[in-house]
Amino acid sequence: MLLNKTHKENISSDEPTLRSEFVSNSQSKSSSPMGRVGGGKNFFCLHCGNFTNDQFCCLGCETAYKIINEMGLSNYYESRIIDEKTRKIKPDNFEKIENIEDFIKEENGKFEIFLAVDGLHCAACVWLIESILQKQNNVILARLNLSKKYLRIVWQSQKELIKDYIKIINEIGYKLYPFDELILAEQEKKYNNDLVKCLAVAGFGAGNVMLFSSILWFSNLNLIGQATIDLMHFASAMIALPVIAYAARPFFKSAAISIKSRSFNMDVPIAVAIFLACTVSLIESFNSAKHVYFDSAVMLIFFLLIGRYLDFRARKKAFDIAKEFSILSANFARLIENDNNIKIIATKNIKKDMFLLVVAGDKIPADAIIIEGESEIDNSIITGETLPKKVINGDKVYAGAINLSLPIKIKVEKNHDQSLLSEIVKIVENAESQKNKFVKIADKIARSYTPIVHLVAFATFSLWYFFLDSGFENALLNATAVLIITCPCALALAVPIAQTITISNLIKRGILAKSGEALEKINEVEVIIFDKTGTLTAGKPKLINILGLNKNLNEEEKDFYLMLAASLAKYSSHPLSASLVASNLQNTIDLKVTEEQGFGLSSIYDHKILKLGKKDFVLILNDSIPFQFSNQAHEFKGEAEQMYFSTCASQDPQNLCASFEKWNGMTKCYFKFGDDEILFLFEDRLKSDASDVIQKLKLLNKEIILLSGDNKIIVEETAKTLGITEFYFEKTPLEKMEFLKSLNKKIMMIGDGINDAPALALSDVSVSFCKAANIAQNTADIVLWGEKLSPILDIFSITKQQFKIIKENLAIALIYNLLAVPFAIMGYVTPLIAAIAMSSSSILVLLNSLRLLKK
Amino acid sequence: MSILLFLIPITILLGFLGVMAFLWTIKTKQYDDLEGSANRILFDEDLKKKKKIKNENS
Repeated sequence: MLLNKTHKENISSDEPTLRSEFVSNSQSKSSSPMGRVGGGKNFFCLHCGNFTNDQFCCLGCETAYKIINEMGLSNYYESRIIDEKTRKIKPDNFEKIENIEDFIKEENGKFEIFLAVDGLHCAACVWLIESILQKQNNVILARLNLSKKYLRIVWQSQKELIKDYIKIINEIGYKLYPFDELILAEQEKKYNNDLVKCLAVAGFGAGNVMLFSSILWFSNLNLIGQATIDLMHFASAMIALPVIAYAARPFFKSAAISIKSRSFNMDVPIAVAIFLACTVSLIESFNSAKHVYFDSAVMLIFFLLIGRYLDFRARKKAFDIAKEFSILSANFARLIENDNNIKIIATKNIKKDMFLLVVAGDKIPADAIIIEGESEIDNSIITGETLPKKVINGDKVYAGAINLSLPIKIKVEKNHDQSLLSEIVKIVENAESQKNKFVKIADKIARSYTPIVHLVAFATFSLWYFFLDSGFENALLNATAVLIITCPCALALAVPIAQTITISNLIKRGILAKSGEALEKINEVEVIIFDKTGTLTAGKPKLINILGLNKNLNEEEKDFYLMLAASLAKYSSHPLSASLVASNLQNTIDLKVTEEQGFGLSSIYDHKILKLGKKDFVLILNDSIPFQFSNQAHEFKGEAEQMYFSTCASQDPQNLCASFEKWNGMTKCYFKFGDDEILFLFEDRLKSDASDVIQKLKLLNKEIILLSGDNKIIVEETAKTLGITEFYFEKTPLEKMEFLKSLNKKIMMIGDGINDAPALALSDVSVSFCKAANIAQNTADIVLWGEKLSPILDIFSITKQQFKIIKENLAIALIYNLLAVPFAIMGYVTPLIAAIAMSSSSILVLLNSLRLLKK
Repeated sequence: MSILLFLIPITILLGFLGVMAFLWTIKTKQYDDLEGSANRILFDEDLKKKKKIKNENS
């Protein structure tokens, strides 16, 4: 608390402009530029936790810090835990959500809204946001759901107040998105609740029926008399019948569907067994019989529902996390209205002929034509091309590409549902329907298991009725016992329990498996197909070399120039700048930087001009170095090229031509300090673990194929480096899909772009990344959290264990059935034995599955 | 044994109440944010107190 106070005093006396001047003054005093690296000491920003040279990294953070302190909520800073994976809570110029009214629900003079929150780090953030909102006038309720990361605000008086609320949350650094609750996949939610309700009712039924059954299990006719036994039977029936009618609906429904489509699944024998058990037991109760099977039936449903719920929950967890990504990367566009005002609208509301503004860093929301401005466009997510493409007035741009450098004004050419992206969505949907039908292990067994079980039950009935003349009732009772004892209780638990544990094991390693089916299929994968950009490579430029244009540089000078360039670059959001900053390991200095949008950055340091950016911008005053790019290797005139090629030639003279092409494929950034001219070379680098992963996958006897939309040279180079012999380049999304079809093998596809989506949909197992295009992510069965490829190896090793456990589980379940069936046929299976057999086999399967947890 | 005639309905009723209570918790979305609820208990008390004062004022 004391610490906070001192900081607070400092803020009021310290103006931001004064501070930065102070910093630059102190630097210009320094005499030797080489001796001095970095400005003042490094602090963490008191508000957002970024590295900074002062208490705060920006004015926004300072204001936010003031607001929080003024409200008496400074406890927040003490109790929070910053999550490195999440966006820092740095206040930015968040765009206003203009049509916010559309999202507000009104009821009895109260207003309600749901907003998705970006930047939540921990529970302290929840506390902070809720506390601040509670302190606002007219707020009735503010509740933040930490699991789903959305905020619900209820307020009174005026609708417009929401703008103030949003403003203050923005000011302390959290980004809010309008959030239609319908996105929450109501269907999914309903199913979940329904399943939980069934489970609750079945649990209640199982417990209470057993209360009466236990009396019957441990006593006999002589002890309690027939009247009491009958009473117990009817009491059981009273509970069991309504419970079954309610809780067994999921099985009856599924069985009905399965019979209609004539492909038997596990639910058919379950439904038949439950139905027969109930009917026979009811008849027997009226006939004052010795045994009824109400307890077995209810218990059966209870166990089966547990399995089903586990299965559902594990999938839902992964699904929720994946959905979070897509909500946060919500699709909004900036509409330019007639009066030149900018309004934020949802992508789905984009109509043809609208004028939109796309600022640097934005995704292009629709297929459109540029009508004003020029910029560079990152098409990598659509076509897989690595290099940014320059676009000018009149060029076409496609939805999903990212605008890199300058704001552009575009005119929408196609409605949202006709855009290239929507076309691909259609192809994806189509591909999904063409996918090889996969039969789950459990269903595979059910197919052969069901007829056998029913045959055995029928045989039992005939045996007793025709050969042993035991009467219709007794024969039916024994047949029912067979059905109950063979009811695949352990079988139904065997797969979901193992899958649940596996899915949570995978989540711990940053792998989100959206379906258990995909996990079963992984074992059969023969071919692994990789996309290149963003999958094998990082998908963004990495600094690979620093060249002096008018002199040779030693290592020390290289480091110094890099530091200077990074000091400039930290003020820009261009991907090359980000790469420069990331490559620089030294402390940067604070400079007064002016940015010429789309060209570069400049500043003054040590009385010399600093410039960083495009060739024209940086070298404009010096035409003495002729830079001409030509296709002939011997026509080089640029000194940098010569220098670069002389090194290449000395290393590998044969390969000069290839090097030249590689040179053209590299991204360059120019830098000038006084008279020194420096060239930074960037390349889309392979991920650090790519080669290792490929080698290990080869050891697993998987066929590896590289399938990319990028050009021949880059793809060939990548394949060669990684030792992939089979590679294809310049493939369109449809060609990728056709290629997968032509393979006719079990395929695992790994990709991240829009252009990969159709292929992902068609493949047997599809893997994508959390930073991938929405459509790729939604299509993929498995989403990897980070950028690394090594989780793919984990997927194989973890699912291998899982498969082993599932096999063991199935064996346990089947052996139990084989042992129990003869007794059932002979009529020795009383409800007590059925209950013991059922629960013991289920527990055995459960315990066996728990072994997965240890690994 | 006639005591059973009273006890059986009572057991069923009690169990029934239990299920109803559970279904109510589902309906009121008490399982929606397990992560948040786990942390919420650790939040400072002043939030609730201030809320109360505010309610009294309004």
